[in-house]
Amino acid sequence: MSAAGSLVDAVRSAVGEGSVSVVPGFGPVSVEVPAASWTTALQAARDAGATYADFLTAWDELEAGLVVVAHISTPDAADHVLLRTRVPSDDPVLATSIGIYRGLAWHERETHDLFGVRFSGHEPLEPLLVAPSLGLHPLRKDVVLASRAARPWPGEKEPGAESAPARRGGRRRTAPLGVPDGWVQEDA
Amino acid sequence: MSTSDGVPVRSRGVISLVEKNCTVCMLCARECPDWCIHIEGHTVTHPADEVHRRPRTENVLDRFAIDFSLCLYCGICIEVCPFDALHWSPEHSYAGAAIGELTQERDRLAGWEATAPAPADRDA
Ligand code: SF4
Ligand code: SF4
Repeated sequence: MSAAGSLVDAVRSAVGEGSVSVVPGFGPVSVEVPAASWTTALQAARDAGATYADFLTAWDELEAGLVVVAHISTPDAADHVLLRTRVPSDDPVLATSIGIYRGLAWHERETHDLFGVRFSGHEPLEPLLVAPSLGLHPLRKDVVLASRAARPWPGEKEPGAESAPARRGGRRRTAPLGVPDGWVQEDA
Repeated sequence: MSTSDGVPVRSRGVISLVEKNCTVCMLCARECPDWCIHIEGHTVTHPADEVHRRPRTENVLDRFAIDFSLCLYCGICIEVCPFDALHWSPEHSYAGAAIGELTQERDRLAGWEATAPAPADRDA
C-alpha cells in the first residue's frame, strides 16, 4: 500500500506542480486543483491506490465561488487526501466523478440539491433531499436562514442589561458569529 | 469510570450551572452556535464604603436557560466560560412530553451540579 503523502505527489505530478496548491490541516492534507483538472486529479489518486471515496460536498465562499471537496482514501486508510476545487457561483459546473468513484453519485445529487453545483456527465441529477419546487439551494449563503433572521440573537444583550441595546447607526454592536452580513435585519 | 446506569462519567449528558460562579458576562450566550442559551440580568450599584472607596456595580442573574431541543452538545459554552460556571454532567434522562420541557431554567440546571464529576487534575 502506498506510503502516507504519496497521494499528494501523484495528484501533483498528474495535474502539474504549478497549478496545485497544498493546504495542510489538522487531519488530512487538502489539495486544491483547477476545476478543469478535477477528474485528472481524482483518477491520479485512484491510480495511486486511493480506491475509496467516502464523501463529496461543497461550501460557499461567496465572491470566491463554491468549493467542492472530496475525501478519498486507500482502503486501509493508511493514506488519505481531501481533493478540492472551485467553481464560480453564477455557473457552478464540474465534471462528474462517478466514472471514477461510482459511490459519489449520491453525494453529487446531494451537493446539487444543497448548493446547486451541476455535475456534467451525471444526468439526470435526481433530487435527493430538497424538493425542486422549493426553487433554491438552501446551503448557499444568499439563502437566508429564517431562524437567524427572525429570532433575536440571545447574545445581543450587554452584561447586566435587561434588554438589548437600542440599535443606533454608527455604533458597532457585537454581531453573532458565523451569520453572514445582511442576514440580520437592522431596525430603522 | 461509569455512572450507576453505565455511561462514562465524562459523558456529555446535560449542562450544569454553578450559579454562584456566573457573572452574567454573556460570553456563553454569544458563542453558542445555535443560540440556545438565554440569559437575563440586571445591574445593582453598591455605594462606596470603608473598604471600597468607589461605588461598585455588580451584575445579577435573573434568568439562565438552555434549550436542549436545540443544543448540539458541542461544549463551547463550557469551554468559553471564564468563571467555570458551566460543567458537563453525565445525566441524560430528561426527555419531556412537549418540546418546551427541554428548555431548562436555572433551578433545573443548578440541580445537575451535584452530578457533575470533579474536573480532571490538569497537573496529573
Ligand atoms: S453545548 Fe454548544 S449548543 Fe449546547 S448550549 Fe453549549 S454552546 Fe450551545
Ligand atoms: S460564560 Fe459563564 S459566567 Fe459568563 S454568562 Fe455564561 S455561565 Fe455566566
